[in-house]
Amino acid sequence: MKRRTFVKRVGAAGIAGLAGCAGPDADSRGTTTGTSGGTDELAGTLRVATYEPFVDAPSVSPGAWIKEAFESAYPDATIEWQTPNSGLNHFIQQAQYDDEIEADVYVGLNADDLVRADDELGETELFEPLSADTLSNGDSLIEELRFDPAGRAVPFDTGYISLVYDAGEIDEPQTFADLIEPAFEDTLLLQNAQTSDPGRAFLLWTIANRGEANFLDYWQALMDNGARIAGDWNAAYTAYSNAERPAVVSYSTDQVYAHRNDVDMQRHQIAFLDDQGYAVPEGMARFADAAKPELATAFLDFMLEPRTQSEIAVRNVAFPATTTADPPESFTEYAHRPPETVTHTYDQLAGSIDDWVSAWAEQIASG
Amino acid sequence: MNLKRGGGRIGRLQYWTGEYALRGVAVVTAIVLVVLFYYPVGTVLANGLFGSVEGTNPVLAVLGSEFYLGAASGLTDPSAVPGGVLDWMRAGFPAVDFGLVGFTVYQALLSTLASLALGLPGASLLAHYDFPGRETVRSLTMLPFVLPSIMVAIGFVAMFGDQGVLNSFLGWLGLESVSVMYTLQLVVLAHAFYNAPLVTRIVGAAWAGLDRSKIETARGLGAGPIRAFVDVTLPQLGPAILAGALLTFLFTFMSFPIVLALGGLELATVEVWLYARVQQLELAQAAGLAVVETVITLSLTYAALRYESGQRGLGRGPNRKPLIGSLRDPRRLGLLAYGLVVGIVFLGPILSMVVESLTGPGGPTLEHYAFLLERQATGASYQVKPLPAIRNSLMFGLAALGIAVPMGVTVAVLEDSRIPGSRLLGTLLMAPLAVSGIVLGLGLLQGLVFGTELFGHRITVTGPVAIVAAHAVAAYPFVTRTVSPMLQQVDHRLVETARVLGASRGRARFDVELPLVLPGIVAGAALAYAISVGEFDSTIILAEGSSSYTMPVAVERYLGNRTLGPATAMGTVLLGVTAISFVVIDRVGGWWEP
Repeated sequence: MKRRTFVKRVGAAGIAGLAGCAGPDADSRGTTTGTSGGTDELAGTLRVATYEPFVDAPSVSPGAWIKEAFESAYPDATIEWQTPNSGLNHFIQQAQYDDEIEADVYVGLNADDLVRADDELGETELFEPLSADTLSNGDSLIEELRFDPAGRAVPFDTGYISLVYDAGEIDEPQTFADLIEPAFEDTLLLQNAQTSDPGRAFLLWTIANRGEANFLDYWQALMDNGARIAGDWNAAYTAYSNAERPAVVSYSTDQVYAHRNDVDMQRHQIAFLDDQGYAVPEGMARFADAAKPELATAFLDFMLEPRTQSEIAVRNVAFPATTTADPPESFTEYAHRPPETVTHTYDQLAGSIDDWVSAWAEQIASG
Repeated sequence: MNLKRGGGRIGRLQYWTGEYALRGVAVVTAIVLVVLFYYPVGTVLANGLFGSVEGTNPVLAVLGSEFYLGAASGLTDPSAVPGGVLDWMRAGFPAVDFGLVGFTVYQALLSTLASLALGLPGASLLAHYDFPGRETVRSLTMLPFVLPSIMVAIGFVAMFGDQGVLNSFLGWLGLESVSVMYTLQLVVLAHAFYNAPLVTRIVGAAWAGLDRSKIETARGLGAGPIRAFVDVTLPQLGPAILAGALLTFLFTFMSFPIVLALGGLELATVEVWLYARVQQLELAQAAGLAVVETVITLSLTYAALRYESGQRGLGRGPNRKPLIGSLRDPRRLGLLAYGLVVGIVFLGPILSMVVESLTGPGGPTLEHYAFLLERQATGASYQVKPLPAIRNSLMFGLAALGIAVPMGVTVAVLEDSRIPGSRLLGTLLMAPLAVSGIVLGLGLLQGLVFGTELFGHRITVTGPVAIVAAHAVAAYPFVTRTVSPMLQQVDHRLVETARVLGASRGRARFDVELPLVLPGIVAGAALAYAISVGEFDSTIILAEGSSSYTMPVAVERYLGNRTLGPATAMGTVLLGVTAISFVVIDRVGGWWEP
């Protein structure tokens, strides 16, 4: 991976033909970030990469609002959204394959994304660490949502994984133990932890709740009790909506949608197992090779402004990451916060998550 | 028998290759294949063969894993086999588990049988009966093929779920409800939904070209209808049935979105696993699994080609009887029952999707279509709009068809030549069928999208041209598989007679051979078009920016949180646009039929 920075600098100097001859690796970042030339540092095009529903979903997507609001705050700047199909993996692989990273900021990082990126890239830094005082709005961040010990990813919102259940069909499942009782036989829909974010979060929640030594036994009991695992959230939620099962793993903001669509609230009750919810903070970060580092920093700061935070809460249907946000009542009334939040730290995930997910998946697939 | 014909075959190759056009197409075929298929796939497989997972070779890691191969994993250590077998005998011959790979094979076998069971009566129906709109129905048999799997999954849940339409209907009849959600049965049924039409189409094309006179001779000599079918018709249809079964097996072996959406992780296949490995960027592991998968699918292709030997004689097909008539004919009753099954399995899920697109939380609504119009009018540059998606799908489909048909026919001719090694070559040329979409996608990403350093330049391949080429590569084997069995059935005496009477090679082929295999070419062309329109993975990988998206990409993008509406509306548009184009392709092809 060291070759990449070398190739890029040499390539820029116009002697790319020599790229194969490895040279001493010098950290090029210091030189690239400081020298944005004579142009206004807060002008030009800012390339913001994100996952595609963030800008293109018909029901909720904050992308358009963010672009408009940011561009009116910085009249000389333009946001160019990028939504590579494979998400963050696209950029990890670009770094691996010596390709130029054509983005300045990534929006929508989870802790396990970051673990994977670091695992794959080793010494190469995909993202730039931001010192605490870089962001003027950094003080308002809710401290417990910070998930990157290296300070690269800045949280901008968070969801809490919980159960959504149909109170007309079943009683409220109150504990993890309830779910393996006969009363909850054939009731639960889950998602594949290998490929789905909420699915993975629920798996991590069971590990936090039952312990590393026992979670597989718990899952065996869960499956024996007729739980079913769909590929992704959409498939699981669609089946839940079609009344195939009366409970589904989803987010604790579910009623915000239900309220918008005037749907029967009985069918959208939130259950926090063991009075917990698993926190999945979403972060954003500046690419180490960002062409517009100052503009990128301004963007990160803008994302933490109270007004932006309130809008993201409504438009992304997730809780704000700052204490200064003031989302409207239509959000706060129906978005439920768990009494206690659970999550894994970066350090707990690093080195373990792959093994956990593999062991889990092999057990499920082996039936 | 092949040996006796050998000389003639070589003669025929010279006869074909005598034309420069054919050579030109062959060269272009080779270039496109190398750049867009062999090179990218090769990089992935090489990673599996020569890479390392925690110090072990990735392929050996898979072969030695009990999870992947179950009992067969012991084979990597031959010395342990006798002991293992003894243990198994002592344990009283328990059911042998062949792991993830074994389950995938089992699932694909069931899916193939179901597809044949659902598809063959359709082929017979189209061959033997006449009814108003028969041609249109035949054209539309390809429709399921282009439907995005997510739409099919939605339709299947709506149709076959515990609370689905089928159970409401059964309840209304006073019958007991069925529960198939998250079972192997539902996955197999969904696979049949995709692949039975393929069987119908391929076998139907062969049936239409059957030598009727032989059947009449057999009947004249006193054979009953069943006897004549078993002794005369079935052997003639054999290659086509085998081709349909092979394609179905390959597709269902490499199935992944349907398994994920309808079956859940408990029914995971090799491809599901491969996808998860790729998402976790455990690429060496993925490559090891990809090698094992590709070896299985390629050897299967080789075996099928080996047995896909044709019978001579191309005729005019069976006489068609009117479908509407007396119900005292037991065959008509059978067809009625078949029609009912088709209605439930094929029309049910499709109609469910259309109904979903017209329904909102508050009842019937056109708001999802209004969303499409609004997105078209006001959508931002980074958002997917309906019209460019329609335009791109149609353009890419036509362009891919234009490339895939000559490529496919060329390869069919090459296969037919039976030069030494042609079967191996044929297998290699059929490899695009036998390589999973995920492996190809990974290769395209690594080898072409991220680019390759060559002589100091970074070579990257993306954009519409790359997408069309990738679609053509995915599609031409279908043309070959529909044309090849028919080409093998051409009575060479006809061609030779034409040559003796003074026709040039090209003339003889154009006037004699082409009309005889035309039904196969048209069937293949429609398939090629369907592949292109329905293709998702390489389209989205090769699409540069947001300018080259297609209808299936738009469907996926319009899936919103808690709303299926806009996606199903776009899915319905996709359905309508492709339905019209299939009818057009078949009609245009029909005009050329003699």
